[in-house]
Amino acid sequence: MIEINNINKAFTNGITALKNFSLTVQRKEVVVIIGPSGSGKSTLLKCLNGLEEIDEGSIVIDGIPLDHQKKNRLEIRKEVGMVFQSFNLFPHMTVMENINLAQMVVRKKSAAQAQETTMELLTKVDIASKAGSYPAQLSGGQQQRVAIARALAMMPKVMLFDEATSALDPEMIGEVLDVMKNLAKEGMTMIVVTHEMGFAKEAGDRIVFMADGEIVEQGTSEKFFNNPEKERTKQFLSQIF
Amino acid sequence: MTCIRSFLRGSLLISQKKRVNKLNLESVSRCLTSFIIKQDKGCIINRKRYISIVFAWIKYLFTVLLLLCLINKGAESLGYNWQWYRIPKYLFSFDNGIFQAGPLLKGLLVTFQITSISLVLCIIFGFITAMMRLSDSFAARTLARAYLEIIRNTPLLIQIFFIYFVISPVIEIEAFTSAVLALSLFEGAYASEIFRAGIVSIDKNQWDASYSLGISKFHTYRYIVIPQAFERVLPPLTGQIVSLIKDSALVSTIAIYDLTMQGRAIISKTFLTFEVWFTVALIYLVITASASMVANMLEKRMKYENG
Repeated sequence: MIEINNINKAFTNGITALKNFSLTVQRKEVVVIIGPSGSGKSTLLKCLNGLEEIDEGSIVIDGIPLDHQKKNRLEIRKEVGMVFQSFNLFPHMTVMENINLAQMVVRKKSAAQAQETTMELLTKVDIASKAGSYPAQLSGGQQQRVAIARALAMMPKVMLFDEATSALDPEMIGEVLDVMKNLAKEGMTMIVVTHEMGFAKEAGDRIVFMADGEIVEQGTSEKFFNNPEKERTKQFLSQIF
Repeated sequence: MTCIRSFLRGSLLISQKKRVNKLNLESVSRCLTSFIIKQDKGCIINRKRYISIVFAWIKYLFTVLLLLCLINKGAESLGYNWQWYRIPKYLFSFDNGIFQAGPLLKGLLVTFQITSISLVLCIIFGFITAMMRLSDSFAARTLARAYLEIIRNTPLLIQIFFIYFVISPVIEIEAFTSAVLALSLFEGAYASEIFRAGIVSIDKNQWDASYSLGISKFHTYRYIVIPQAFERVLPPLTGQIVSLIKDSALVSTIAIYDLTMQGRAIISKTFLTFEVWFTVALIYLVITASASMVANMLEKRMKYENG
């Protein structure tokens, strides 16, 4: 489903974010990426849908190569949904309009069709009553659930979560994680960058531990948390737990 | 020594006097406060505001009075003979009960025509230039930059003359068109900087969110960036509209009978210098002030609900 081959990424200020990074993700797999901050996790996600350009290497998603062709890039973005740490809802639009927009502009749906999908998704993330509200009127957890619904409205084949719960108050983390767990159960292919180890253990098929732009260790969640091999991993886990 | 001593004593006296003044002011304000409190049943938040508003008005009226006195005195010393009663007929008159616009109102109409057409063009020029400056094309950026630098670093009066005396004979346009062109090119340059700042001020996260949904650059501008930028841009843009109205007075130099030119014509006939310029200035003031008010209302209405 996703093939990442030897990608390199350095920022203009000279900081290397990703070093010869390779990763393959199967269909319906939930890959959880953990690691200390500054290890290139968010950059990796942004490279996957072309929000950041890679310097070297190749990314192929569902058979489409992510290259300099505009068409391919847009095609990949249609198939890859993304949820951000800071929600990034469009503040000048209601919840309904936020979710309708891409369906109508990109998928060329009619307003009625888009609205139908939107209401279905809002029901799914349990926030249908807020369809007419503006983002600023919602709590953080509600905003993030709307953001997930917005990404799902494009019927993506892959979902990327970039620290989706990091900006939330503790009591709101649960409601967002529940939505994510349900998605995983339904068989969505997901790459999740998170600090929520509970989620990683419960929903992650595979855990990838990153440090300094490289994969240090990866494995099934059971093996990773119970029998880590590398010293760096043990050190990281001991700091968390 | 004695000199210094007397000086010190003097300053002491003054400071004491000041203290007395201060005391007086305080007692006055206390009086006012107690009065307002009685009215307001002890609303503490409003008390201070009332006092500051009352004082602001007193200061304001005092300043206006002072100015009027000064003007009157100046006119007296010049031996100026005020003839306000002659002004209304230059604004409008009733011929057999039918409304007739006087030269000043006719001039105002021309000013309106020029500014409204220039405003539309100025926004178009400004928007195109802003998009050119933000585009990926080097040629477009350079072109926009050159236009901005030329317009912003030469006087508007020279630009008007240049277009009227140099360009208009070549491409055969009238004085009115030259005036509109000069004004809209000039204000467009400034408007473009306002637009650009508004667009740049939109958070990068909004772009990321839009792109991640597969929305193209064009549609991101159209649905996400420009609607949000427009709201931020509205207040400074109003300032630009006000300058456009004021700058339009300069077109009177190329024989366009706008408000300013009509004023000059009346003065040369009647020598009512003070009255006419006061009237003309007041008319400009009313227009620009109402433009600001309309913009304020728009701004309030457009503010999306912020929780």
